[in-house]
Amino acid sequence: MPSQPDSTRKFETGGLDQFVSGYRPLPGIVDEMMDGDGRVRAHWKPLLSMLADLGAEEINRRFASANRYLRDSGVFYRVYEDPAGVERPWPLSHIPLLIEPSEWKQLEAGLVQRAALLEAVLADAYGPGQLIKDGRLPAALIAGNPEFLRPLAHVEPPGGSHLRFYAVDVGRGPDGRWWVLGDRAQAPSGAGYAIENRLALSRAIPEIYGKTRVKRVAPFFQAFQAELFEYNRQDDARVCLLTPGPMNETYFEHAYLARYLGLLLVEGEDLIVRNDGVFIRTISGLRRTEVLLRRIDADFADPLELNAASRLGVAGLVQAVRDGKVVIANALGAGLVEARAMLAFLPALAPHVLGQELLLPNVATWWLGRADVRDEILAKLDSMVIAPAFGAAGGSLGSELDDVQRRNLLQAIHDRRIDYVAQEAVTLSSTPVWREGRLQPRPFSLRLFLAKVGDGWQVMPGGFVRIADNPDARAISLQGGDATADAWVLSDGPVSAVTLLPAPERVTIQRATGMLPSRAADNLFWVGRYVERAEATLRLTRALLNRVADAGDTAAPIVAAITELLRSWSAAPIDTGGARPALVARSVLTGGEFDGSLPRLVNFARVAASVIRERFSPDAWRAIDDLVALIELSLAPGPVERAMVERVEAALRIISSFSGLAQENMTQLAGWRFLELGRRIERALQTCRFARCFADGTAPSGGLDVLLELADSQLTYRQRYVMIAAKAPVIDLVMLDPNNPRSVAYQVDRIETHLAALPKGQTPAGRLTPVQQIAASIATRFRIADAGNMTDAQIVDIEDDLMALSEAIASTYLTHIERSQSAWDAQS
Amino acid sequence: MIYDIRQTTACTYASPVTNAFHVLRQTPVNRPGQRVQVSSLQIEPAPVSRREGQDFFGNRLTWIALEDAHDTLTVKVSARIAIDAFTLPADSVTWEAVQEQVFASTDIGPIAPAHFLFASRMVSLDPEIRDYARQSFPPGRALLEAASELMHRIKTDMIYEIGATSVTTTPPMSFALRRGVCQDFAHIMIAGLRGIGLPAAYVSGYLRTIRPPGAARLQGADAMHAWVLVWCGSDTGWVGFDPTNDMIASDEHIVLAIGRDYTDVAPMDGVIVAAGGQHIDVSVNVFPVS
Repeated sequence: MPSQPDSTRKFETGGLDQFVSGYRPLPGIVDEMMDGDGRVRAHWKPLLSMLADLGAEEINRRFASANRYLRDSGVFYRVYEDPAGVERPWPLSHIPLLIEPSEWKQLEAGLVQRAALLEAVLADAYGPGQLIKDGRLPAALIAGNPEFLRPLAHVEPPGGSHLRFYAVDVGRGPDGRWWVLGDRAQAPSGAGYAIENRLALSRAIPEIYGKTRVKRVAPFFQAFQAELFEYNRQDDARVCLLTPGPMNETYFEHAYLARYLGLLLVEGEDLIVRNDGVFIRTISGLRRTEVLLRRIDADFADPLELNAASRLGVAGLVQAVRDGKVVIANALGAGLVEARAMLAFLPALAPHVLGQELLLPNVATWWLGRADVRDEILAKLDSMVIAPAFGAAGGSLGSELDDVQRRNLLQAIHDRRIDYVAQEAVTLSSTPVWREGRLQPRPFSLRLFLAKVGDGWQVMPGGFVRIADNPDARAISLQGGDATADAWVLSDGPVSAVTLLPAPERVTIQRATGMLPSRAADNLFWVGRYVERAEATLRLTRALLNRVADAGDTAAPIVAAITELLRSWSAAPIDTGGARPALVARSVLTGGEFDGSLPRLVNFARVAASVIRERFSPDAWRAIDDLVALIELSLAPGPVERAMVERVEAALRIISSFSGLAQENMTQLAGWRFLELGRRIERALQTCRFARCFADGTAPSGGLDVLLELADSQLTYRQRYVMIAAKAPVIDLVMLDPNNPRSVAYQVDRIETHLAALPKGQTPAGRLTPVQQIAASIATRFRIADAGNMTDAQIVDIEDDLMALSEAIASTYLTHIERSQSAWDAQS
Repeated sequence: MIYDIRQTTACTYASPVTNAFHVLRQTPVNRPGQRVQVSSLQIEPAPVSRREGQDFFGNRLTWIALEDAHDTLTVKVSARIAIDAFTLPADSVTWEAVQEQVFASTDIGPIAPAHFLFASRMVSLDPEIRDYARQSFPPGRALLEAASELMHRIKTDMIYEIGATSVTTTPPMSFALRRGVCQDFAHIMIAGLRGIGLPAAYVSGYLRTIRPPGAARLQGADAMHAWVLVWCGSDTGWVGFDPTNDMIASDEHIVLAIGRDYTDVAPMDGVIVAAGGQHIDVSVNVFPVS
């Protein structure tokens, strides 16, 4: 049924008519693309004609490429309710919603007016409270709102504004007008995803995007960014985006926006409040921040004065706000105006506060706290949605309640009607989606974004469209939203080609090495250590499996020695006794109950990496995911040496690709250096242990070969010596040779290079820092060591120094923090 | 009555605390019927910063920061306070009338009843406690009478037992156990009243340690105490109900702080940077000087 017109029929209506011929708007529902008479609306024609020209097959191909782009950029979202924290691919619906210029102007005016109204309501609620005293807003409506944060009462927000980034959900009603469904003032999400939707689409259909006069959204973000940076008064201060962390469902967006706007992505633990302001804990000490783009809910922002149970916040942040030391966007407490019950009062407040009626109506809403309202609503309960007064979610249609639910609701309203609102049941309009090779109508709602710029507001010319997966057009069914789409605001005139991608002149020098938060450095360091430890364990397991296969003699002393080493690393159970070595290998590869087993090491690495996910390229992150997936595959029961060797090889290949990606794709700034330091220290430690175990005088025969294999140095050895392994040359190659990239001396050399590039703190130029001094003393040991006479004791000394080095790095740069709340159990 | 109050709070840490922020709510303030004649708050070791202020509800706060390693922290309060005796007025306003007054209230001031009408951090609106409370509130009953009966029932139905609950026990938990201490008794009464749409606040404070000859010793007299304020309509205002002792608060109850529940009035909150655990020891002494 979709047409496949040839290219000469461009823009002919025949192709377009055929393209939309199967499209039927939902009964009784306004459709964005098609009018009531089945005609395509004029502003949709250019887009649809171009799509028709492409043909269904090409459209499918293009849309698939958009999906690929999203996947390759690592766009995902996390499903909160899912205990496993599953990440889902981004559900882009590829057909954009089109908004014509004249309609956009009306929307824009209504949104700007609404922003001004909500700002005024916030200023009053946190200030004189005149609207309440005058009876225009019930006291219970403010006092009962969980987002009315009392510690912020009578505190003027630094910078003067409660709202700086505000979003409005709108939908088109059956009357053809846009209606406000709800306000998002806490920390609105979706703008970053909107940018990604735009990028994916503009890459998939660049010619269409180029020819359709679509307003660009980049200038909006530039203006918002400039506004935030305006409040940075001191040169050394950084503007931060404060995120609750990777477990949040929109963490990807936090990381993305931080990069896009040139902000430092921080969690509460990265910040500390001192008397003179808010500071970032970095590897070079405390650095000031004066502006926070807040993506954590305000109540969690300060365990000292807000929710004491919060682990996400910064102790003392409220005090810093009171002292005017930090501008927070949006201000703590701005979420107050999100309450659904507000919608009942805003229409009447607008004329009083602004001197004008609301330009953009909101869903008709009644707060049941008023006795007269209650009686009126209860009389027509069936046609109403009854919803919580303060949350933004929930609600049910009166007519859909069963007897028990109805009785419970009536009792609840009898007890505490202040907790409820009634809303008119809203029906939304539909917009086309591309399903099964054709266009189909689906209901949607549209989120629009505003930013405070100077004294006014700018509206992002675009939006975040949420589309239902079924044709039920009642607003209440669309609270989650199954897919998202871009919104294209069409322009009357030509559009300037401002790119969304950071233009060179906007790329400020962001990651001067000193700005690395200690927490990120800490996690990078441990990713390095765990990945390297996993690699050493894999090599040891491979050596074991090779020996078993080669010799067929499972009782050989060398096999026993390898098994013993694995046990001592807690990679396998102690009491294997006479168990076959292959079973020991199996336990290393699959036995998640031992700290040194592969599943545990890989999991530790993944956990550490996930905390700082934004610092890895999507490819590097995928390598870690691949490793997790590989480890989770079940192995056939029994020894199955072959399958185990294959798994070890596959895992080693993934690790080496991860290392390669880290080496080649990470900017070689401080973060990369901490990853490297972790790897180098771990590799040096493991190699020392291998040497003690396999090159010692009492080591079983074949030990030196194992050591060469573990250190991946057989080839070099053969080329250099053309003889069977002898102790002194093996020790020289594995421990001392500064040119062998697997030797301990080489690791120490790299460690010294990395340390030299890190911030020096109080150490005067030209002098070694205390951490460097430890590394230098290890290097000295190597310079004076004699391969022929290297003793176990000497190697143990080196290991001790390496561990001391690791601790010194931690205490100097990483300042591991453990928090505990004061408990109090003294009332009776 | 005039009382001298001495309270010492000693925190001992298992390992040195390198960094600490605390907020202390241990200084009494003047309130209707209560006058603070003198008060002082001493902190050891001396904080690097100390700041005085008040919270939304008008309670006195002291914020302190410590940046030097310490393994103990001691806070000493000493105050002299005069309390007026309180007699319950004869007010027959019904509980429904009080509910309508607060729903329509235009008062958003520090202890406006609207603040104390909703679920709070520790007091959810538990349906079981609500249904328990409702039994004392038949249609048309006078609020003072109904609230007194609810207080009496809580005292009768609950067993006072130190150790059965902890500072983090929620009202539904202690109610299910039918056991607890003053904090639990107060939270349960608050949950019940708010559940049926009536404003109730949490009070922390002190009881007179030694009573006049012949009077029974009060529960909770040798530690900090907690009870409930019920808003009884615009004529009578707030009245203190002590469900632990089944009595109306008068001149043997000294108010330290008022909030929506325990978390608003916790005598000491904070965030410390430390590796180990901690132990807190509190001693309280309240004796009349006249």
